[in-house]
Amino acid sequence: MSTTWLPCGDYHQSYREDHAWFQTRFIKGKMILLGLVLFIFIPLMGETYSLSVCNQIGYTVLGALGVQLLIGFCGQVTLGHAAFIAVGAYTSTLLILEFPWPQFILDIGLAYPISIFIAAVTAGLWSVLFGLPSARVKGFYLILTTMAAQFITVEFIITQYVSQIGGRGQAFSLPPGTIKIGPWVIDSDLKVYYMMIVLTSLCIIGLANLLRSRAGRAWVAIRDNDISAEVMGINVIKYKLLAFFVAGFIGGVAGAFWISNLAAISPEHFQWFWSLWLVGVILIGGVGSIHGAVFGSIFMVVVMELLQLAVIPLADEYPKLLMDFLFVKEAAFGLAICVFMIFEPYGLAYRWWQVKNYFNLWPFSYR
Amino acid sequence: MELLLMALTTGIMVGGIYALVALGWVLIYKCSGVLNLAMGELTLIGAYVSLSFYSMGIPFLLSLLFSLIIGLVLGILTERIFLDRLIGEPVLTVIMVTVGLSFFFKGTVEFIWGVDTRTFDPPVFSMEPMRIGPLIIGKVYLWSFLAALILLVAFVSFFKYTRWGLAMQATADDEMAALSLGVSARFVYAAAWAIAFMAAGVGGTLLGNINGLNISVGYLGLLVLPAVVLGGLNSVPGAIVGGVIIGVLENLSGAYLDKYFPGGIKEIAPFVFMTVFLLFKPYGLWGWERIERV
Amino acid sequence: MDLKKKWFKFVAVIFIPALIFGISASALAAEVKVGALNDVTGATSDVGKDYALGIADAIRYVNDNGGINGKPIKLYQFDYGYRIPEALTKYKLFKRLGCVAVLGWGTGDTEALSPTVTQDKMPYVSASYSAHLTNPAKTPYNLFAATDYSTNARATITAWYDTRWKKNPEFGKRKPKFVCSYHFAYPYCSAPIKAIKDQAELLGFEVGPDQNVSLVAIDTKSQVLAMKDYGADLVWHGNTTMSVSATVRDAFALGLKAEHIVNCWGFDENLVKLAGKAAEGVFGAPRCAFFGENVKNMDKVVEYAKKYNPGVPLENRTTHTVAAWANTLALWEAMKRADKAGDLTGEGILKKGFETIRDFDIGLGVQPLNYTSTDHRTAGKVSIYEIKNGKFQVVELVDLKSRWPEKWGKEWLGW
Repeated sequence: MSTTWLPCGDYHQSYREDHAWFQTRFIKGKMILLGLVLFIFIPLMGETYSLSVCNQIGYTVLGALGVQLLIGFCGQVTLGHAAFIAVGAYTSTLLILEFPWPQFILDIGLAYPISIFIAAVTAGLWSVLFGLPSARVKGFYLILTTMAAQFITVEFIITQYVSQIGGRGQAFSLPPGTIKIGPWVIDSDLKVYYMMIVLTSLCIIGLANLLRSRAGRAWVAIRDNDISAEVMGINVIKYKLLAFFVAGFIGGVAGAFWISNLAAISPEHFQWFWSLWLVGVILIGGVGSIHGAVFGSIFMVVVMELLQLAVIPLADEYPKLLMDFLFVKEAAFGLAICVFMIFEPYGLAYRWWQVKNYFNLWPFSYR
Repeated sequence: MELLLMALTTGIMVGGIYALVALGWVLIYKCSGVLNLAMGELTLIGAYVSLSFYSMGIPFLLSLLFSLIIGLVLGILTERIFLDRLIGEPVLTVIMVTVGLSFFFKGTVEFIWGVDTRTFDPPVFSMEPMRIGPLIIGKVYLWSFLAALILLVAFVSFFKYTRWGLAMQATADDEMAALSLGVSARFVYAAAWAIAFMAAGVGGTLLGNINGLNISVGYLGLLVLPAVVLGGLNSVPGAIVGGVIIGVLENLSGAYLDKYFPGGIKEIAPFVFMTVFLLFKPYGLWGWERIERV
Repeated sequence: MDLKKKWFKFVAVIFIPALIFGISASALAAEVKVGALNDVTGATSDVGKDYALGIADAIRYVNDNGGINGKPIKLYQFDYGYRIPEALTKYKLFKRLGCVAVLGWGTGDTEALSPTVTQDKMPYVSASYSAHLTNPAKTPYNLFAATDYSTNARATITAWYDTRWKKNPEFGKRKPKFVCSYHFAYPYCSAPIKAIKDQAELLGFEVGPDQNVSLVAIDTKSQVLAMKDYGADLVWHGNTTMSVSATVRDAFALGLKAEHIVNCWGFDENLVKLAGKAAEGVFGAPRCAFFGENVKNMDKVVEYAKKYNPGVPLENRTTHTVAAWANTLALWEAMKRADKAGDLTGEGILKKGFETIRDFDIGLGVQPLNYTSTDHRTAGKVSIYEIKNGKFQVVELVDLKSRWPEKWGKEWLGW
């Protein structure tokens, strides 16, 4: 479902053109427009609320990318991704707050970027640790081991041990002003937006490139039929663990990014509910494509915000709705997943692909 | 020594209840191949329904019966509305639908009944403990264990001796053959879900009797998963044994390991144990080994 | 064609509400905005629901009695379900809406937000009475109208020692054994533990291993068994009523021979209802009077409870409603003073409002309030109650300040 039909009449004359990322001038134009919108229009025109919604979307996209890699491209079902995001977030926080950085690094403002990288690597390694069972088990049992990873990491290790570091109780406070990149202090939604868009673009570009490489092909082979893949000579264990590492890496970036948006982090940000949410995002957006992760994130975040806005006027009539809104949200999420799975099993990316192809073939759209 | 004995007995008693819920899970898996992650919420629904009936003044056994009937109806409805259309879909889709169902049920239950702890008031079993030798056992535990045993025996004999039970076993064994003999697969699926709802409902009610009912009874559903993995996904006796083992493990780790790993070890010990166990016996104690063909 | 229509409908559904986002509400000039965070659906909702109703009632009372020198208070009350992420997002919303003060709830989010509110100069009156919030040198903008958890804990264990242990035949022959039972991971539960253990050692107790009891626990048998193994004489309960009643019931069922002392959020009318016989003889330090008790201003609390929440029967209202009134009345007084001094900003409410309050009696069974610029602890006296025959009776009024003046003044501030 990832190959889009090209309009007829476009000939490539070199290999470089043939395997270019953007194959026609039209697509190049679209991408430049998208870049302008994302980098210039939205930050200039958006006010705080829309920017914070965009930041939430960006965070979800980063989380969903890791899950998409594992489930959609490598076929390893994971229900414990929030744990790796948590590892990234906590590592980054601890590095910023507790690590004795040499003064010159603090002055240049490199503490946070370095901590993002280290957090991502730590999350990747942690993910590999919990991906080791994938060498032995698959399918349902792998789901259970990833669930175990989620519970052990967040509910046990982080809640009991890591959050108690420094006697802070359950939450680490990040006083405004502790997070700087270079000379900029990240304290407003606008700055967080810029950071988000840069990180998300980098991660998407990196992942897309990885998927076009040998590793990506190996992953798809493992997803489709791992026994055949092994027979063909692909080192299944190595590529599975690589998938876990990359997914954990992206998750670590997500976590480290997210702390810039919060005043404090606590284990509650990374509960099992969030892992399930990310898998739901993937399924709604479409398994097996990066578009799917992005569409799913946009859809879920926007729908939840709309739900909240819709409930507020109703709350005057039914105050119970606003009081119990968290439950309504949970029930709505559950229902959304069921409905999507029943009626739209290929997700939003499939619809997008259909739309694109329709326009690509217009006006000669013979079905 | 007393600590060990009491932890063991409490564990076995609570394990009986877990075994009941695990039985429902295995049934759904055996008959329809659905990996159900919504078990905890089924427990909640049954428990809250019987609590509502009991608060209205209806005697306990009768309200239990009513909640069984409602569980039956809900099971059939769920299966018809949500799961019928998913026959043949990939595994992940079905699992996510059960996850979606679990959130939907949980949200609805919280919305209707709130999150406060409710107790069965007046208490069904008296609070006074019974002494057997050096052991002090709460009466409620004993009765719950007996009830769980009775129900287990009832279900197992249902499978062995009635026509419907036989039909379900046949479908679980080989669906194609059963279909060719005239067994209605849809009926079997619906029956599996109905039984799961009922078993979970009774399990939840019994658990709720022990100390009160609130949302955390739903987390029991997550504990069922290590239980069935231990026993083997396809095996009914395995589920029962797995449930009891998990109950014992939980209580023993709560009693002994709490000193070394303060806080929270009780919840995750079953999962750690399960993960380690999976590395050695990936199919559980009595599970069927899958032979994959390319 | 229908695919195109579907796509346009899809886009429209997304964009039109997005346009509505851009329209922001304009603030009405003559209102004072206050935000409130409550837990009606989360881990502490058993006590949070009543508190939320109390806040709403109290603000209505304030507005009916002139508001802030004529200006009404507009209350933005939200439920955050004791989830810290929600609290953070709601706090950002309050800032965006232009609130001058926040009536908060839980210890976790209050302590997490405290550097931020200090930077933002936003007075944060919490239902968390954690002693970590009483030191103006570290957390100047965190306040509350009650004695803090550590003071309460110290007073309760002192009262038990004075009235019960001294009458015990083993007094003088051995050290009594003390165990704390609470939810380790929650800062609200663990806040007073260091202080109460310090007080226990000061009085001559032997302190045993802590037991972790979840806030939503319904089965605490293994923890009770461990306490029995240790031979505890006294157990401190740091959780809210739900789990405290479960533990007390289990203790009774398993024959644990210890007595129980409970923190203020676990010691209410519901404890008696849920634990029944097992709650006899339990000590606690409620920081205000029980609902309906005969103290100053209680008639107004009952009147507003009847008027605005007729659906909730009066026997179900608890002391936590009264605590909500106490916090609101204190904030009202501080805002009135700040407004009279012409400075109704965050900093003004703190410096010209709260920190000018000396020996202010709001009734409701609360000790007269005192806030200074070096000490935000409201009082040094705590009344300890006991449950006898299903009713609450005063046991002792412990005056920590006069019994240990040096320690009170110098050592005990802030933890």
